[in-house]
Amino acid sequence: MVTPEPGTSASLHPAAPTLGGSAAAPPPFLRATGIHKRFGGVHALRGAELTVERGEVHSLVGANGSGKSTLLNILCGQLAPDAGELLLDGTPLKLGEPAYALAAGIAVVTQEMTLVPEMSVAENILLGPRKVRRWFGIDWRATRRRAEEILEPLGVDFGAERRVSDLRPDQQQMVEIARAISMNARLLLLDEPTSALNDAQVAALFDLLKTLKGHGLTTIFVSHRMNELFEIADRITILRDGRTVESGPIAAYDADRIIHAMVGWAAEGSAPVLPSKRSRAIPALSVRDISVEGHVDKASLTIYPGEVVGLAGLTGSGRTELLDAIFGLRPRLSGSIEVCGSPLRSQRVSQAIARGMAYVPGDRKNLGLVPNMTLAENLHMASTSGTARLRVVPRGRERSQAREAVRQFGIVAASTDAPCTTLSGGNQQKLVLAKWLAISPRVLLMDEPTRGVDVGAKREIYRLLAQARTSGLGILVSSSETEELILLCDRILVMFRGRIVASLDRTQASEAALTRYAMGHL
Amino acid sequence: MTDVATETSARAGGSGVSRWAKVRAWAADSQFVGVLVLLIVLFIVFSLTQPRFFTAANIRVLLIGVSILWVISLGLTFVMLTGGFDLSLGSMLALAGFILVGFYVKLGLPALAALILTVVSGGVLGGGINGLLIGWVQMPFLVVTIGTLSLFQGVTYLVSGTQTVSLNSSLLNAIGFNTTFGVPIAVWIMIATLAISLFVLRRTYFGRDVYAVGGNSRAARLAGVNVTRTLIAVYAIAGALAALGGILEASQISAASPLGDSTIIFDATAAVLLGGTVLGGGVGGVVGTVVGVLFLGVLQNGLSLTGVPSAWQQTISGVIVILAVLFHQLQHKGTPLLRRRKE
Repeated sequence: MVTPEPGTSASLHPAAPTLGGSAAAPPPFLRATGIHKRFGGVHALRGAELTVERGEVHSLVGANGSGKSTLLNILCGQLAPDAGELLLDGTPLKLGEPAYALAAGIAVVTQEMTLVPEMSVAENILLGPRKVRRWFGIDWRATRRRAEEILEPLGVDFGAERRVSDLRPDQQQMVEIARAISMNARLLLLDEPTSALNDAQVAALFDLLKTLKGHGLTTIFVSHRMNELFEIADRITILRDGRTVESGPIAAYDADRIIHAMVGWAAEGSAPVLPSKRSRAIPALSVRDISVEGHVDKASLTIYPGEVVGLAGLTGSGRTELLDAIFGLRPRLSGSIEVCGSPLRSQRVSQAIARGMAYVPGDRKNLGLVPNMTLAENLHMASTSGTARLRVVPRGRERSQAREAVRQFGIVAASTDAPCTTLSGGNQQKLVLAKWLAISPRVLLMDEPTRGVDVGAKREIYRLLAQARTSGLGILVSSSETEELILLCDRILVMFRGRIVASLDRTQASEAALTRYAMGHL
Repeated sequence: MTDVATETSARAGGSGVSRWAKVRAWAADSQFVGVLVLLIVLFIVFSLTQPRFFTAANIRVLLIGVSILWVISLGLTFVMLTGGFDLSLGSMLALAGFILVGFYVKLGLPALAALILTVVSGGVLGGGINGLLIGWVQMPFLVVTIGTLSLFQGVTYLVSGTQTVSLNSSLLNAIGFNTTFGVPIAVWIMIATLAISLFVLRRTYFGRDVYAVGGNSRAARLAGVNVTRTLIAVYAIAGALAALGGILEASQISAASPLGDSTIIFDATAAVLLGGTVLGGGVGGVVGTVVGVLFLGVLQNGLSLTGVPSAWQQTISGVIVILAVLFHQLQHKGTPLLRRRKE
């Protein structure tokens, strides 16, 4: 039930957000003010505020890196803020330890499952010392009864004796929520609970949340999906760059206004930087109806020589999985791939490389480089992967080629024989790029091309990409930074829940438009 | 030579690096220098205290004594560099003796052909069973090689009827007892296996694959390295070298014995770890391994000459293995114990 609140009626204008209720109203259920948090040089929260009323479903909205997760982690005690105050029911909340938050009645359900899959629902709900005991040990029957009592008012469609690994993902979420409630939670934090669920499962979860609201539970809900906000939230708070920019009842918002608040008014329209240069000959890469189980649903795309195509979408939208599948790192269920007009016959990485496909992965540490090997050895790994294995390595020639690459790509390193772990993040990324450009590719796939690199290296990588495209290379860039995509790409495809839902020319692409499609608002 | 000068010249391309700086860089890179120093110290101490230690006869006994451990440890190094392990090498040793019996006695093949076929069979069994199951089916290496440890030993008992079979071949006797240019043939075999292993690991693309698979198999796979093929190959190499170890054993006792050496895999593991190859792979090499083998050999030989009972020898070498690996770890990573104290 939504109760009209006094302080929310004045918040229609985005320039004058209203935070919290008026002076006459009783204190809000949760009130966070002036929250600051730094991670090294990154100022993740810069005076964020959050006011949540009792018994409502409150949605926390913001783009990647806006500080949602940090704020949530502070609420549940995983992180201690550098500054700021948190009042729960008018009393200051002790911060910095998950135990404090639990004692205060705050429970969190994260994206990662914290259940023991091989145990029953009852055992998971009453995990650890909370099982019913008797003098000879655990009273299993009483434990199950207790779990059933907890599950009963939730109206779930599974029994307490079921094994968690046999449940659907939404049912597993429900078990986590049941456990949270059984610990006398008054405030439930849900961090993207729907990211792994299909539509029917989302509906089931929302039914449960509505039931819980009927019982008076307060919920803070993080989601990236626009339609979910309108369906479940009573009020929303929008974060941008670590600050709270707006807060108010969902009824006062439409999708466009939320998106504008998320990306800022200034982000509208961005001047093209790179000249569009594409030849309409044979496509460098042509992908038809590729599917990856659970991640990608019939994605098709075409890249012409000299063209840079962007892939936008939220984390978990299937961007990385699509790139993996194109390159052969992940099995594809269906579809076909052609490189420069000739089809790939196998799903093997070696064939992709032999046809001139290169892949700079987003997970540089685990997929990009072999840490104990030298700069030169890493540099030549891809280009020599097709050579006969018992050939003798021409080390002199490799070393001079490595010195040439170091010069050309502006890699700062003690020597070409230095272990690649001694390089900085930006230089490692340039090394990965150099490694792949050494195979003289026709198609370059790049995932998060500038993740974790400094501004200088970023500019350098953009320059190298601009240079590479002039030689007729087709480039597919996946990035969670929309500004980067708008800067680099001729055309941007947007993914939402495994499907490519939009294709925007650079003239049409704006942060607002990309964000709208990425949140499933078509 | 100062550090600054060293670094500058290294950046300039390495052409002007002084020899001393190169040696220092090599020492810093090489994981086995500590054990090498210990080996030299041990050698000098035994030479000074035991008149019978530094004699041609004793050195020959020492080297032939470690020859089987040497070849097995070389094979194990390949496997451990990829981050794996092979417990079955000790049983392969015993099985190889009876494969040799099969080719030489039962089929009546010429001795040289029988020897070569035995080594090849070891490679086929190692690569075809261990390698395929670990590299292709992607089963855990411990599970697979615990299985083949038992499998190879069981087959050995079956084909031998648990009887020792004597082998009389002039070639086999020559390997066991003859010398060429004053050096026993077994020692030539040791040198040859080391040289080939070193060449393969350090100079060929395959050797680079071995280090890449151990260092980061996912990155290696993404860069086009055939991880499956590399794993099959290292288990084949380990199997072939274990079979060669079985031939060396047969040559020393002029017979094939069904009793495998069930502890040799632990000595080999100690030697590989002492030599600086790490569990988990990607770092180390065969030169370190043979330093480790020689260290264990000298320790055991010297202590025997000193009259230390074998129970004590085992105790001492256990302590030294732990200390050496601890020393190595302190040098490179530290332990939580020390780190906490520093804070």
